[in-house]
Amino acid sequence: MSYDALVVGGGISGMESAITLGDMGYRVLVVEKQASIGGTMILLSKVFPTLDCASCIATPKMAATVHHPNVTVRTLAEVEAIEPTEDGRFQTRIRSRARFIDEALCTGCSLCETACTVAVPDQFNAGLIGRRAAYIPFPQAVPKKAVIERAGTSPCTAGCPAGIKAHGYVALVRSGRYESAYELVLEATPLVGSLGRTCYAPCETACTRNQLDGPVAIRRLKRFVADRHLAPEPASPPAPDPGGGRVAVIGAGPAGLTCAWQLARSGHRVTIFEASSEPGGMLRWGIPDYRLPPAVVAADVANVTRLGVEIRTGVRIDDPVALRDRGYDAVCIATGTPVAAALPVAGAELDGVTDALTFLRQAKLDAAPDLVGRSVAVVGGGNVAIDAARSARRLGAARVRVVSLERRDAMPAYPWEVDDAESEGVELHGGWGIAGFVGDRRVLAVAPRRGTEVVDATGRFAPRYDDQVTRQVDADLVVVAVGMTRDDSPLAQLVPTEPQVAPLADPQTLATAVPGLFAAGDVVTGPSMITTAVGQGRRAAAMIDSLLRGRPADAAAFDRQLPAVDPAEVLGRQRRHTERPALAARAIDPAPLGFAELEPPMSEAEALQATGRCLDCGVCSECHACIEACPADAIDLGQADEVESMTVGTVVLATGFRLFAADHKPQYGYGRFANVVTGMEMDRLLAPTRPYDTLLRPGDGRVPERIAYILCTGSRDQQVGNPLCSRICCMYSIKQNQLLMGALPLADVTVFTVDVRAAGKGYEEFYVQAEAMGATFVRGRVAQIEETATGDLLCHYEDLEGGGARQAEFDLVVLAVGVLPNPDAHRLFPDGQLRLDAQAFVDEVDRDLDPGRTSVPGVFVAGTAAGAKDIPEAILHAGSAAAQAAAHLERIGPDR
Amino acid sequence: MNQRLGVYICHCGGNISDTVDVDATLAAVANEPGVVVARTSMFTCSDATQEAIVHDIEQEHLDGMVVASCSPTLHTMTFRGVARRAGLNPYRYTQVNIREQCAWAHTGDRAGATRKAIRLVRAGIARARLTEALEPTVVQTVPRALVVGGGIAGLRAALGLASIGLGVVLVEREPELGGYVGQLGSLYPTGRSGGELIRELVEQVRRQPAITVHTAARLVAKAGTFGDFRVTIAVDQPPAGPGGPAGSDPAAAPPPSVRAQVGTIIVATGFTPATPELGAYGFGIEGVVTLPEFTRMVDAGPGPLTAGGRSVRAIAYIYCVGRRDPSAEGAGQGCAQYCCTATVHTALRVAGRDPDVRQYHLYRDLRTYGRYELLYDASRRQGSVYLRFAAEDPPRVSRDGASGRLAVAVSDRLEAGAAVEIPVDLVVLVTGMAPRPDPQLAEVLKVPVGRDGFFHEVHPKLRPVATVVDGVLVCGACQGPKGAGESVASALAAVGQTAALLKRGSAELDPQVAVVAAPRCTGCERCLAACPFGAIGLSPTAGGSVAVIDAAGCKGCGACVPTCPEGAIDLLGHTDQEVTAMIDALAGGTPA
Repeated sequence: MSYDALVVGGGISGMESAITLGDMGYRVLVVEKQASIGGTMILLSKVFPTLDCASCIATPKMAATVHHPNVTVRTLAEVEAIEPTEDGRFQTRIRSRARFIDEALCTGCSLCETACTVAVPDQFNAGLIGRRAAYIPFPQAVPKKAVIERAGTSPCTAGCPAGIKAHGYVALVRSGRYESAYELVLEATPLVGSLGRTCYAPCETACTRNQLDGPVAIRRLKRFVADRHLAPEPASPPAPDPGGGRVAVIGAGPAGLTCAWQLARSGHRVTIFEASSEPGGMLRWGIPDYRLPPAVVAADVANVTRLGVEIRTGVRIDDPVALRDRGYDAVCIATGTPVAAALPVAGAELDGVTDALTFLRQAKLDAAPDLVGRSVAVVGGGNVAIDAARSARRLGAARVRVVSLERRDAMPAYPWEVDDAESEGVELHGGWGIAGFVGDRRVLAVAPRRGTEVVDATGRFAPRYDDQVTRQVDADLVVVAVGMTRDDSPLAQLVPTEPQVAPLADPQTLATAVPGLFAAGDVVTGPSMITTAVGQGRRAAAMIDSLLRGRPADAAAFDRQLPAVDPAEVLGRQRRHTERPALAARAIDPAPLGFAELEPPMSEAEALQATGRCLDCGVCSECHACIEACPADAIDLGQADEVESMTVGTVVLATGFRLFAADHKPQYGYGRFANVVTGMEMDRLLAPTRPYDTLLRPGDGRVPERIAYILCTGSRDQQVGNPLCSRICCMYSIKQNQLLMGALPLADVTVFTVDVRAAGKGYEEFYVQAEAMGATFVRGRVAQIEETATGDLLCHYEDLEGGGARQAEFDLVVLAVGVLPNPDAHRLFPDGQLRLDAQAFVDEVDRDLDPGRTSVPGVFVAGTAAGAKDIPEAILHAGSAAAQAAAHLERIGPDR
Repeated sequence: MNQRLGVYICHCGGNISDTVDVDATLAAVANEPGVVVARTSMFTCSDATQEAIVHDIEQEHLDGMVVASCSPTLHTMTFRGVARRAGLNPYRYTQVNIREQCAWAHTGDRAGATRKAIRLVRAGIARARLTEALEPTVVQTVPRALVVGGGIAGLRAALGLASIGLGVVLVEREPELGGYVGQLGSLYPTGRSGGELIRELVEQVRRQPAITVHTAARLVAKAGTFGDFRVTIAVDQPPAGPGGPAGSDPAAAPPPSVRAQVGTIIVATGFTPATPELGAYGFGIEGVVTLPEFTRMVDAGPGPLTAGGRSVRAIAYIYCVGRRDPSAEGAGQGCAQYCCTATVHTALRVAGRDPDVRQYHLYRDLRTYGRYELLYDASRRQGSVYLRFAAEDPPRVSRDGASGRLAVAVSDRLEAGAAVEIPVDLVVLVTGMAPRPDPQLAEVLKVPVGRDGFFHEVHPKLRPVATVVDGVLVCGACQGPKGAGESVASALAAVGQTAALLKRGSAELDPQVAVVAAPRCTGCERCLAACPFGAIGLSPTAGGSVAVIDAAGCKGCGACVPTCPEGAIDLLGHTDQEVTAMIDALAGGTPA
């Protein structure tokens, strides 16, 4: 791939250079980093001194550029490197950033914009209003195609092992689209209500808001949408896709249910075989009702059966391989870890010693031993131990003591669970290992000894004890919660033992050694989290689907995401935030009775408040609302950046300028005082496509009557390190004066300035005209602005023409911010080959005779990249650059 | 007559449909005679809709097409392109503006806007039924340009053209190349000598075989049209070709004129320094000089500055002399742009030579824009004193008979109007650039001048070096005051535009031009007088003569059409028949 000329930047100078070179017959590539060409000019209201509408001048150039037969335009693209070669050409690398929209399909209808659930400041309206993450830059954009802004994967979404678009459903709730939020979770798993209650919420751990005032209550929002979800009337299940297969899933726990659900959604016929009497696995039998009511699990399971999945309970599969002979094209083993680990100590066989799985199952079935007034000892420090202890309290146990090897702060159980258990009167005895159980036929006590270490130097579990320090904990019931393992008996022929014992399934493809047999969930990973098991179920389903559809399984592509956003970047985007109170802490009953659900549902107001705290880290929330809305099917969130290398004969740098950041003059209060705006913001307020569709001050929406301009904000100012005059601010202020006085005939306009620099053809006349219309020019610099209680602005200034220190009050102050260099161009070249001037504009090596020629032969600079210019100067400068670029091309001759 | 029309009505997002009932408009026009396809679309200009139109044209064998959307300036080319892609002649496309001229003009009156839109679309359909296929006129372009003026802009333009492979004929009125800058010493902001720069350029021009130079020569005639002008140059001395002045044989009589064939003409005739009125600011008193006079004094030598035989210890500069005067005629109203910086630069040179010279700058606004601000900063650091005066209270210059020194009285606005009298040895009146009057050139080229007397470009942003005469470009200070670097930038911009016009060897001209129905022409010549472009000539016939319009010279302005008493002239693309049909459709019929 090669072009004669590369033009970096699609603003007015870049377009002018490109059209001129294209007209000469050279092949030109324009690379613009924004989603539209047009640069700064297309955003302006009108232009001095003719008061032409900026769009009327810029849009024909934009159209001419993009439709030029010799000009190719890449928007949303950046030049990454430009390296001179020996024959006078350049080797360049260009990155076209993913638009996440198929440009060929997009019609620019903006329905995605309407549907999008994320609002960010609109950079094309100087941040005065918001735009959506899915957006068309502005009405006259070229190309008029949507783009989805994605900074990366939001940390919450990236942190979810289940692959749930956490940010997406938070954003949908924020938009009041609760059912859509529910459906978004359904894209990952049917277990919406269950996860909304029991998930350990790694999303919240990852939440960037932790670094401000605590995480967004993401898990509870999921519960909120599950609570609001009204299950549809059971319809006849959708007919399976005739091209689908038959799949058997063994085990109706989180992994099995999720796997079955995903396969059914993909058109396969699925049967789940469940050994126990009811589906749900650990959700049904392991998690106490006060955390997860059975009705919630039943509703989640109903999501699965509604799709036509058959669940056969009470069926234990002893030979999974044989299922293939019964007509199943694939099998997924998701049998979890149903076997409680035993504690091999003396007295383990005594009556009154039970394991936690059994105990919790009895509690769920209302068949637990009578514990009223009794003492219970729970052995173990994990979540299951805490569940058992808190269940024991609810069954009336007078004393519940948890004896764990780990000390309190190292217990594997979640800290909040441990805290709540303590609040409910559970006693914790950390740092003790069990030497044995005391009793005669029936247990009487637990005999622990002091544990000295839990893990060895390599981090492996290797407890050590001090046998000299022992004690005795009386107990009528001992519940052992020291782990769970899988049931190996049906897996015998699946787990290779030669040449050595191998894992049950490949961790990526989840395929076992037997073709067509897959395994997912805790049976593969060992005891883990429900959320992790859900992720396994999804993965297995994707792999099985590939197999059944005859596609190669691309395990690496499964759930491929953009890199997670760096929280520092997100925080850097925030200007301010409001500290919001955390949801009210709920009171804990020190002597709980019964298994009623503890956590109250979120109210709608609480949910909306919670979602309002989301910082939209990834910008796009992946809520998929745009995908729903797009009539052209043009949205493709899987797009990736494309990087290409190409040779060009010459380079025109038209990278433009930056505006001075007005908050670098803190005495003017920009950013703190709502009615202090910049000249660019005022230009937007005056533009035909203006943000408020009328002219008002941003602070309170009032129409301003007294308007002040402060010229030289950030220019001719050693304090901010910019000694240069910015060339354009006097004139754009005078232009705005005239437009303001036209729009608001009663407004008074005062301009604070040292000099009025109306130097150019017709400029002085334009200045005189503004004065004649009534603008007052005061010679003097404003030293300080104060905000009054009503949002008005008190300007303290020095009247240079003998008035001394004075003050005056205004409704609106416009800071005429100036032009600063854009440092982008410099780093494109190796070893600083591109010379910059003292202010870091691109240097011109012969301003007298070759305006636009840079220190790199064959590289030219056009427009404000070389220093402040008004539009006519920039256009002439761009023409000059183009003429010299053409001369360079003639010199080096055609590309071989 | 076109009988298979496609009509497309655009929502423009909501720009149109928020005000105009687009569906009602469609319903009202869908059954107009000849309409075979009628659709609405969200954005007709989107690639997707364009492709749909291409499909319609091909499948339905459309022979005419109407898009009712925005202003034709925005998308006429877009939809002509669509027609061309589908094999339909682009001139069979009609654009109807129902956005700027309807929806935007009548927000709040949906019913009225819709009625108007319907009539506008019907008018477009009426025209589309009558459109004919037109083919652009192709002109072969001459790969050579004429540059008028051998100053810094003209010289740099000539070199620029040659370096892109175009031939150049360079005409300079004076016997020597170099223009104004050639006489100057140090230039802002680089400090390089103007004379040196010009020597460098002239040297390169002499070495460049593609450039033919005529000095002491004037452009006296121009014929032909853009891409192929025939120009006549009156020369007082023979052309100086490559390798030095030709015609080394003094005996050979110099030809009175030279003819050349060129594709474009670049005018770079520069300016003339403004001279103050006698008496203004003491002009006429000895020791009161203009800025150009003063810079020549500074350029003259390294020794201490002297005036009237005595050493100059104090200087007053009075800015904006003859400028920024709303009551003035012509260039006097404006700002001359370059003089603030030129003065500050000169003051820096004076201070560099003798730091003890006191320099007082009496100014109104110091316009050292952009990076020239650094020069202003430096001059203040070197001791220059700046006093601001008001236009209505200008400084007064007098010579004290006793001391023989000059005195400048001024009210310093920065000191509450304190009256200051400054004794000085020299007063420098900072005068600007004035247009260089050259009525003959203006007459030959037909390039208009603005109110300020400088040549007028078409548009400062859209076509900043083009004039209303196709193929005639302007650059440098003949267009308005400019610094040397700025003049060169505009000269190179003119080079770029010239190359854009000539580099491909041919150019397509808009076929929407006027034509004469010869049998009806009586040869009355009224149209000849009406044509602003001189594109109409007379062709002898048996019985007399008829008007003939040069398609390459005609701009399609239509000025000739109404002058013809016989109605013999028609404008292709906007024929009387088409326009009448549109009026009938707009005015007639039942109200929508």
